Amino acid sequence: MHLEQLLEKTFGYRTFRLGQKEIIEDVLGKYDVLAMLPTGGGKSICYQLPGYVLGGNVLIVSPLVSLMEDQVQQLRMRGEKRVIALNSFLPDEMKKAALANLRYFRFIYASPEILQSPLWLQALKKAAIALFVVDEAHCISQWGPDFRPDFLKLGMIRAQLGHPPCLALTATATPEVMNDVIETLQLTNVRKHIYPVDRQNIAIQVECVASADEKLERLLYYAKTLQGPGIIYVSSRQWAETLARKLQAEGMEGVAYYHGGMDPEQRMLVQQQFLCDQLQIVCCTNAFGMGVNKENVRYVLHFHLPGQMEAYVQEIGRAGRDGKNSLAILLYTHGDEDMVQSLIEAELPTEEQIRLFVEHGSSALRSMLGISDVQWRLLQYLFEKEASAHTAEEIVANLREAIDRRRKWKRKKLEQMRLFLFRPSCRREQIVSYFHQSLTNKPENCCDRCTFSLESYRLKRHDEPAWTFCGWEEELKRIFRNEEYTWIKGNKSNR
Amino acid sequence: MLPYLLLYCLHRFNGERSLAAVYHLLSGKKSAQTLQDSKWFQLEHVFGVCKTISLLELEQTAQELLMQKWIVSIDERSYMLTEAGRRELEQWLPSARFFAHLNGSFYHAVDTLFWYRLSLAVQTLSNLVHRYKFAPIHRHEATLAWVKKYFLSQTKPAHDLAQALYQELHALCSSLPEEEATIFTLRLTSFERIGWTNEQIALFFRKDPLYIQLMFQHLLHYMMKRIERESHLFPVLHEFVKDLVKPVSLTLSAQKTYEWLQKGKTIAEIARIRKLKRNTIEDHIVEIAANVREFSIEPFVAEETRRMIMKEATRLGTRQLKKIRDAVGHHVSYFEIRLVLAKAGELRAS
Repeated sequence: MHLEQLLEKTFGYRTFRLGQKEIIEDVLGKYDVLAMLPTGGGKSICYQLPGYVLGGNVLIVSPLVSLMEDQVQQLRMRGEKRVIALNSFLPDEMKKAALANLRYFRFIYASPEILQSPLWLQALKKAAIALFVVDEAHCISQWGPDFRPDFLKLGMIRAQLGHPPCLALTATATPEVMNDVIETLQLTNVRKHIYPVDRQNIAIQVECVASADEKLERLLYYAKTLQGPGIIYVSSRQWAETLARKLQAEGMEGVAYYHGGMDPEQRMLVQQQFLCDQLQIVCCTNAFGMGVNKENVRYVLHFHLPGQMEAYVQEIGRAGRDGKNSLAILLYTHGDEDMVQSLIEAELPTEEQIRLFVEHGSSALRSMLGISDVQWRLLQYLFEKEASAHTAEEIVANLREAIDRRRKWKRKKLEQMRLFLFRPSCRREQIVSYFHQSLTNKPENCCDRCTFSLESYRLKRHDEPAWTFCGWEEELKRIFRNEEYTWIKGNKSNR
Repeated sequence: MLPYLLLYCLHRFNGERSLAAVYHLLSGKKSAQTLQDSKWFQLEHVFGVCKTISLLELEQTAQELLMQKWIVSIDERSYMLTEAGRRELEQWLPSARFFAHLNGSFYHAVDTLFWYRLSLAVQTLSNLVHRYKFAPIHRHEATLAWVKKYFLSQTKPAHDLAQALYQELHALCSSLPEEEATIFTLRLTSFERIGWTNEQIALFFRKDPLYIQLMFQHLLHYMMKRIERESHLFPVLHEFVKDLVKPVSLTLSAQKTYEWLQKGKTIAEIARIRKLKRNTIEDHIVEIAANVREFSIEPFVAEETRRMIMKEATRLGTRQLKKIRDAVGHHVSYFEIRLVLAKAGELRAS
């Protein structure tokens, strides 16, 4: 069967998107592949389709549990039953069944942490891993923005699984990060497929305003006048809530917030409401977005400055996945970088924490030292690199130095972000050159430097609400399609 | 809302516990100390009802209460209510309708599972009868597996099952005030409508989100209790609950006594009706106290007496009835002491 036929039969798409076919052909040719596709470019097809051709299991290493769950869900929705997500939330009963028969699953998703477990590794060895996929591969790089120390061991794990061919996928990797990925995963005979990071249908606007009050004013203005659905990114949980309440207080409907501190069910409700167009605006931290496959996001607005270009490009990339014209707006006011600066500081262990960690480095002490997950992972990673022969003093000094390097590196990243704000050249050109690419084509609606009109992004549709509340009794009847339900105008279930 | 809930807890703690104890209580820490505290100070119903609360939030709220002069600090981080605080609490209590059925210590570990199952089953059925594909509203694998198994074991057509579940939910909601039935219904996810968050329902009713959250838990606890007690009336819903709540293991005779107690009969009345000795009925009640979590011994032992017994039992480190009775005084009966110890012991066993 031709790949196109398989694509249509299994996934319902007529044609491949940019790069997918070439990547799949190399994967099927058992090469190691490093692929960089633009955000929302359909990365998952690149390993899911081979899953139906290769005889064996596809192992997908994914950095985020929620991302993993979303992808498992999407596969199941398509009718794929032989899929499983290995993470610490797996119920015991299923864990046992999976351990006994891992070979059964066509797609095995796993967190890097789970692969450290000898139990799972043993089970994976007994399966026949035909393809080793690393999703969001930039997390591997120590210099990637979302560095995860556990990713570093993936090369070794791959070797233990008998060196199956590897596919490393990312949307945002500089050449520096790509080299790191190749080295860490021990990719040999590697085929690189690098596609433009640029998303032609996303217009880019950066607005520097005089004060925090004015920024808020601009936000309200945009929220009220732009065609949704839209995502508003902020830098803290508190701000996500504050902005959502502000918009609600302005009489706006269909606004909610989303952040990692919420109860999982409430978080899921907000995500699903947004997907089903029950919400127009989500105010959120960067916890929202990965794995959320919503095609019709019309704008992404940054209320705070992202810490680095990679994050910015990932986040604006959630707009316009349907290919239609969309907008990315970044609001900046003097001093915003200070907030990022303090976030950077908060993520790095303090001198005191380093010392206590080296002296009593056990996880029991962790909560007492007030060390966050991020700090803990970093400390452990740095600590493991230190040979045991050193004295405590030396280790502390080395760790301090390593952390200082990281601090400087993060500051440099922030500085690059700042330069992006103030440099007078085309935003799009700046983004692509950050990833060492060049721009071949400028869209009509390019960026604020190239001038474009916001007119076409203004609110056009006022959707009738799909559903109106008519009391709990009517609602219960509607839910269960009870005969007594009185169909009313406005409830589109009337069919 | 949180200020009042804190006020309520501080009032019950009576200056004998710090803010950290309130935090452990509301967030549902399963330590012996917290469980014991919740019994001792009669705060079991709020055990684990705010699982996502932070100590910081409570500290800030305590500061607010101090500024309002509703509480005074008596020790490092422990507080007593002022006269004004007590008045505020009293005025607020009638509006806290969730206290009617809220039963944290009994249901906190299972109410979420019940809700996950129920809401996923409702979503599935609703989309089935509307012939619609959908993405499950929960990612909780155990729940997904349970609901799948449940539907595979059903012999009824989807439509019939939907109507049966509709009837049961309708009956439960009908027995509730309008506001509560509405909260429950809005939370449900169904065909073409993702359920609302507590926050969104709060906006709809112009109430505090925490109020909605507690109301919702109270609703679930009420429903679970009724489904369990009257399983013959709720055959569909009973399937969702039966393996979650451990069945009460009472001897047959004690079970009978329990039923009479629930109908509001006194010990003397039950003894007469059942033609049994008073002592026997008392034995039953001790057995019930030891086995039934939500059974309150309040009608049989004055609060003052209960505290005294616990205090002496703890001080002496003994469960010997005679020693305890000597310490508390002979105006307290053995029955009262046994009852208090049984209740405390039931706690330790769990």
